[in-house]
Amino acid sequence: MLWTDKYRPKTLKEILGNNKEKKIIESWVENWKNGNPQQPLLLVGPPGIGKTTFAQAIAGEFSEYIELNASDKRSQDVIKSTIGESSSSKSLFGDEYKLIIMDEVDGIHGTNDRGGVRAIGEIIKTSKHPLILIANDFYSKRLQSIKPKCQVIKMGKIRGPTINKMLKNIAQKEGIEYDKEALKLLSKKANGDIRSAINTFQAIADTSHELTMEDVETVTTKDDRSTIIDGVMATLKSKNPKHVKDALRVDEEPTLVMEYIAENVAREYTNKNELKKAYESLSNADLYFGRARNTRNYGYWKYATDFMGIGVSSAKKETYKKFTPIKSPTVFTLMGRNRGKRNLRDGIAEKMSEKMHISNSVAISMFPYFEIMFQNDELAWEISDFLDLEKDEIKRFRKKVIPKKVINKMEKQKEEMRIEERDRRAKELQEQMLAGIPQEEIAEEEPVRDEVELISEEPIPDEVEPEIEDPETEEELMAEEIIEEEVEEKPKEKKNKQTSLFDF
Amino acid sequence: MSGPWVEKYRPQSLDDIVGQEHIINRLKKYVGEESMPNLMFTGPAGVGKTTTALALVKSILGEYWRQNFLELNASDARGIDTVRNDIKNFCRLKPVGAPFRIIFLDEVDNMTKDAQHALRREMEMYTKTASFILSCNYSSKIIDPIQSRCAIFRFAPIKGEEVEERLKFICGEENFDYDDKGIETIVYYAEGDMRKAVNILQATASEGEHITEDSVYEVVSKSKPQDVSDMITKALTGDFMGSRKLLHETMVLQGTSGEDMVSQIYQEVSRRVIDGKMDPDFYIDIIEAIANCDFRIREGSNPRIQLEALLTKFL
Repeated sequence: MLWTDKYRPKTLKEILGNNKEKKIIESWVENWKNGNPQQPLLLVGPPGIGKTTFAQAIAGEFSEYIELNASDKRSQDVIKSTIGESSSSKSLFGDEYKLIIMDEVDGIHGTNDRGGVRAIGEIIKTSKHPLILIANDFYSKRLQSIKPKCQVIKMGKIRGPTINKMLKNIAQKEGIEYDKEALKLLSKKANGDIRSAINTFQAIADTSHELTMEDVETVTTKDDRSTIIDGVMATLKSKNPKHVKDALRVDEEPTLVMEYIAENVAREYTNKNELKKAYESLSNADLYFGRARNTRNYGYWKYATDFMGIGVSSAKKETYKKFTPIKSPTVFTLMGRNRGKRNLRDGIAEKMSEKMHISNSVAISMFPYFEIMFQNDELAWEISDFLDLEKDEIKRFRKKVIPKKVINKMEKQKEEMRIEERDRRAKELQEQMLAGIPQEEIAEEEPVRDEVELISEEPIPDEVEPEIEDPETEEELMAEEIIEEEVEEKPKEKKNKQTSLFDF
Repeated sequence: MSGPWVEKYRPQSLDDIVGQEHIINRLKKYVGEESMPNLMFTGPAGVGKTTTALALVKSILGEYWRQNFLELNASDARGIDTVRNDIKNFCRLKPVGAPFRIIFLDEVDNMTKDAQHALRREMEMYTKTASFILSCNYSSKIIDPIQSRCAIFRFAPIKGEEVEERLKFICGEENFDYDDKGIETIVYYAEGDMRKAVNILQATASEGEHITEDSVYEVVSKSKPQDVSDMITKALTGDFMGSRKLLHETMVLQGTSGEDMVSQIYQEVSRRVIDGKMDPDFYIDIIEAIANCDFRIREGSNPRIQLEALLTKFL
């Protein structure tokens, strides 16, 4: 059995650390018990500091509870069907409250859990039952709409001595001989994560029943990399190069970290010259990220990281004495919010690129001219017809719909032109054929003939289609080719047909 | 009656192509010999790289050019794997009715180096059955092994008088009135970019007026996003956040590329200094920053960061 489960505190009283938060929670529970509905609790903090333990201890105070985990697929439906009903209707039997615990709320993922955040928002609004939400990242985008509706409890890392106390307790119960210093070091190495401390302890001492300094030194604890927020915070707030460098050892794409620093440095550095200097460093960082990518020499990353970290950090003379919350890059939100518009734009560009032999980016650069051209009803119809644009795509370039009258007129014109073109082609073809007959009669095995046959075999309208460079027609033409080959194999049969056609 | 004039008046044969004489002459030799090496066309936008490629393909492959020709956009969202699969499937088949097959890849300079290396292998693999025509804006962004496998043709911006002649030809075909000054204005703004010239011409014509200096100028200023001007004004007044917001919106919503952004910023500030609205000393400092930004966008990883850095220079 995992020690983390075995020694998990069962009641609020047994929980070590986070004393201030404990008080708030206790009164929250008390209020519910007295029939006083409270705002949902949002427990936020790094992993392994006892958020889930807290929630479960609270659950012990209620008669019943439901728990949902991030690993559940959290589409709107799942949330609603699992807890939606139970959240808005109270139990039949008296005023017993059901506690709802939702773990890792910030883990709700964009596409897989479509509407998940909204569903939580709804549950918060309609729920008559106590609700506890648990999350890791205070600054997560997904929490933004949820935070204002909750009582937020920010929980910090557990202090070394507190962890040490807990480990001692376990050692006693498990009968483990331990070196005091080793235990202290283990507690310290856990860096505030009590779960990882207990797990490491169990990994070392479960079977050997002892813990030495050597054990602790050889066992690597959880990779203590900081979060992107810590990295940005250190870069902006600190002037200590070592501190900045350590904090930037984050488990994220470094170019993403650069985006975060750029986003936030403009909020923090209000002095123009400092901002300029900071951006010079960011520009250098970007340059070396680019060079690393282009040359596939990722050794350049270290320079880039120093530019965006120490470079930006030392651009300020003094640390600003204010609190600016770290934001995720607004450009991401902008992109997300305008996905529809961008898809529309890219769809049009795709059509243009197919018909006009241009790349999507060149196509997009032509949009401003299209906006002007589309103000002309007839031209708007022509271009839309040429590109096969849908209604909403036309709307991208002009607000008004193309008048019916114009559409009818243009369609008629097109039809007339088509007929004219067809007649012209038919005439041409006829002349060609007439010219072809004598040749055919003279030299029966002449390969040229096959071609003539082919053309006359074709139903006329197909040939008449204006020659647009359309990749789709390529396939049709390929098919023709195959026909041609078949034709070659039995020329005699075909020829008979041919002459009869001409006789007629 | 066929939509955009850039497509309607795209020259169909090598003889019709405007400018680039010595390139065309060389290419005609390939047509005569019925064989060609791998080619790389490099040069700025709108100087006829794609047009030349298409015209060459038609005359060298003859009647069945469509079946023996594959056009791919290397720079678009499609991954290198798609491109490679398309190339593989295409090259596996023997040429039908033509001496060989041709693959045209556009904007190769926007491919990552990895993708370019992959492409190089494809080029080696199918030398017997297929030839490649690659097109790019900057040959410096193409890896050496590819460059060394291609005959490189550098396309220059199209000369003013050649653009002028073409525009007048189109006006004649369309029965459209113009005055010389109007055409000259288009030529001036087009900067040797025929696509741009024809687009300005058609946009002006669509407003139903004669092509005059004024009507052209109106179209040119209308087609320029107001945002860039506002963005610079905001930065100049010290509102970096506001300026940066406009930058993000232009790039995300309009989809303007980093390189286009730089050139629009350049045009805006040079207009300001000419109109006497910007101090020449400050202008020169800004030009240095813009030039630097231009260069770094090509070398760096994220154009947005470089442009944000450029905006701080206006503060």
